[in-house]
Order: sequence, then structure tokens, then C-alpha cells
Amino acid sequence: MAKSGDGIRILQGLLVFGNVVIGMCGIALTAECIFFVSDPHGLYPLLEATENDDIYAAAWIGIFVGFALFALSILGIVGVIKSNRTLLLVYIILMLITYAFEMASCITAATQRDFLTPNLFLKQMLERYNKSDTDNNNDKWMAEGVTKTWDELMLQKHCCGVRGPSDWQEYASAFRSRHKDADFPWPRNCCVMDAQGSPVNLDACKLGVPGYYNSNGCYDAISGPMNTQAWGVAWFGFAILCWTFCVLLGTMFYWSRIEY
Amino acid sequence: MCSSWVVLAFCCLGQLCADQSLKPQLAAPQLATNNPTLTTVALEKPFCMFDSSLHPNKSYTIYLYAMKETASAISSLVTDSSGKPLDSTFQQTSGGQLGPYKAALFDVPNCASPPRFADVGDVNKVSDVLKQYLFRVGDDGTCLYDPNFLAVCNPPLAPDTTYRFKYVLLDSTEGIMKDQTLWSDPIKTRRVKLPLKIDTWPGRRSGDMIVITSILSVLVFLLLAGFLASVSSAAMGSKDSSTETRCMSQTIQQSEPRPQLSSE
Repeated sequence: MAKSGDGIRILQGLLVFGNVVIGMCGIALTAECIFFVSDPHGLYPLLEATENDDIYAAAWIGIFVGFALFALSILGIVGVIKSNRTLLLVYIILMLITYAFEMASCITAATQRDFLTPNLFLKQMLERYNKSDTDNNNDKWMAEGVTKTWDELMLQKHCCGVRGPSDWQEYASAFRSRHKDADFPWPRNCCVMDAQGSPVNLDACKLGVPGYYNSNGCYDAISGPMNTQAWGVAWFGFAILCWTFCVLLGTMFYWSRIEY
Repeated sequence: MCSSWVVLAFCCLGQLCADQSLKPQLAAPQLATNNPTLTTVALEKPFCMFDSSLHPNKSYTIYLYAMKETASAISSLVTDSSGKPLDSTFQQTSGGQLGPYKAALFDVPNCASPPRFADVGDVNKVSDVLKQYLFRVGDDGTCLYDPNFLAVCNPPLAPDTTYRFKYVLLDSTEGIMKDQTLWSDPIKTRRVKLPLKIDTWPGRRSGDMIVITSILSVLVFLLLAGFLASVSSAAMGSKDSSTETRCMSQTIQQSEPRPQLSSE
């Protein structure tokens, strides 16, 4: 059962190196997930209104898992250097729990990403944008969030609707029930604005004259950041888990071979 | 004598031919991309359509009449018996259902210098270009409910309905119709679909998700198996070493009392 001293040293060295990498990746995961949770593009109200905001839940789990990985990696380094069986057993058990949480985060992010289709945002935009007769406070909150987010999105990204301005013409909507088609074929923010924030030419915008209204859809501006977030959480977490798998197997082997 | 009659006949024939081929057209789709909408239709003004009927020293006006296509079975006349154009309104004809109503009046568009599409790019000129080039039927949403409104009311049209339009040339001083175009081709306003019918089911699972889930599940299984294996091997190893030490301690105990006895 006795391994040569060199073999033990090499295994210890590898495990310490593995834990250092885990610690650094843990900090990186925490930083990445904090960045996503801070919602730099202001798209969270759209997800909240679809009641499908689990990619944010995955990012929240990622924050805590990253921190746990960092703390456990320090414990692991201490345990390996001191060859302490108790410390290493605690390390392995806690790591397994953290592993399970991170696995949940990755799978959630990857799965929920599949639900974010153009039709989902289209339906939500038509039903909630500028909705005036809301059923309860929650409905009102969501409608206000969606309206504010879409207004800013159309203004800043120079886009209109999900696939294009024709979305407003092809479908009935809460907006259509509040504003007449003759005055508002689409929301005012779909028009090209001047420096003061009013349309350059309202009649040209209503007629759809090229250059006076935003003719492209907003779906790319929405799905781009959301895809980045979902894939960032899912794939980076997956990479960390693959590495952690190897380190944990090595630690278990090391633990079973050291004497009390 | 004969030749002048022939010339006159040709002229009349020419006018009739011109009338039969001239109808109100939709505004150019490159310019007005959102046309027709739910409740409006943008029509090109009648450029060069009435030039053969214009006398240089008289003033003319153009009237635009609109009616639903179903009304052509009831009445499609735009003049009364004396040749004067009808003064029907949107309300009188129930929005064009019972016959044509007058939707607009404007000056004869300038055939010699029509507005140029290239000017549309200039922010200062675009309003003039649009005003000269086209007319938007259904533009005014408030005139129907405004009791003080005295001009020609142009209320929004009905969605998902077919309409037909006609231009009439009127001599302003005499008030008599001088020329008219044919009724336009049927133009249908848009209809809306309900958002409830939109299908939000995402369809197939993406490849990313399948790879991540399957590989991670396998890794977790291997980890748990490895953990159990290492715990059991550590337990077995400690059992072996504990039986060894017990034997050794027994032999030590047995060998210890003898030296004590001999000393006593």
C-alpha cells in the first residue's frame, strides 16, 4: 500500500495545483455571475414578465458556488499539504455538494435558454406593452416594466417590434386598443428621433418612408445579451466542473491512501 | 369637313381611352412601405391624368371619393342629375357602405414638375414632397367627433374591408364635373391576428443543453462511485490494520508479565 515518496509528492503537487486553478476559476465565476445579475442591458423586466427568468436564478447560484469553490480550494490545499484525513474528508463532502449546485446552475441556464424564442417576446410585447387595464398589482408591475424596457430598447437600439414594425400592424395588441391605427401605426419610439426626442417627421414615420422609422426588429438586441449570459454561465460552469471532477477523483484516491 | 369630324371622333376616342386606363393608384411602395394599414390607405395624387381636360384660364379642384366595394351594388354615382358632384359625407353613407362619400378636395397636382423621390432624404423637404405626391385616406381620427369641424372629414376606414376610390375633376367657378377617373382596383385594408394564437413552444431541445446535461450526469455518477469506492477501501484498510495491531498488542501483553515474575 505504500507508494514511493516521489509518487506521493507528485500527487500532492498536482492536487495543490488543481485546487489553485479551482480557486481562481471560482472567483472568475463569481465575478462573471455578478456582472450578469447586475443586468447591464436592462433586459430583466422582459424575462420577469415571461415568468421564465431562470437564467437569472442560474447566475445567482453561480455567485455563491464560485465563492464556495474558492473557499473549499483553500481548505483542499491545506488538507493535501498536511495530509490530514479529516480535513480532506470534509473537503470531499463539501465539494460534492457544491458540485451538485453548480451542475444545477449549468443545466438550468442551458435549458432555459431554449425557451427564449422570438414568439415568446412577441406575444409578451403585444399583450403587455402599454397595457392600461391591469388585473392586479403584479400585472401592473410587469406591464410597466415591459413598457419601460421596450421604450428604451427601441430608442437606444433604433429598432421596432420583435421581427420588425409590421408586428404592430399584423397583430392586435394592448397598444392597438389604446391608440388608433391612423395616429399610431406603431409606437412613437419606432420613429427616427431628433436631438430633442421628438420624431423627425411624423407623417413620414406613419407612412413608413425609409429613413424616418426604424425598420429592423429588436430581437437581435434582446437575444444577444441573453444568449451570452446563458452560455457564459452554462459553459464556463461546465468547464469548471470537468476540471473539478479530475481534482476530486485525485483527492479521493489520495485520501484513501494516506495513513491516519 | 369629313376630316374635322374624323379628328373630333379621334379626340373623343382618345379621351375615352385615357379615362379607361386611368385609375387612382396606391402610393409607390418604395416610398410608403406601410400601405395600406389597418384603417388608412395612401393614394397617389392624379398626376397628369386630367391634363387633356384642363383649360389654361380656369381654376379646377379635385375631389376624392371613397366607397366600400359592396356599395357598388347600391350606388356608385358621384354626380347628381345636373352634373354637380355629390356632397355626401362619411356619416351619411355609413362609412361608404351606402355609396361613395367625399373624402378630400385638393388642387390639381403639377404635372410639369412632379415632386422628386430623391428629395425625401432631405428633412426639410420631405413634408412638402409627401403632401404633393400622395394623399392618406383615413388620416384624421378626430374630425368625426368634433362638432366644430367644417371641412371635408376624412375619418379612419374599417379594417379588413375592400374599398374603391375615384378622382373627380371639378371646375371651381361653375361647380360642374369636367372629368373623372375610373373606380380604382379594390384595395383591402389589413386585418389583425390575435396574440393569443401565437405559439410560444420552443420546439426541439438545443444541442448545448443535451451535451451539458448528459456529460454532467455521467460525471456526477462517476464521482459518487469513486467516493463510495474510496470510503469502502479506506474502511477495509483500517479493519485490516486494526486486526494486525490487536494481534501485536496481545503478543506484547503476553511477553511482558514474565520478566516481572522472574524478578520477584
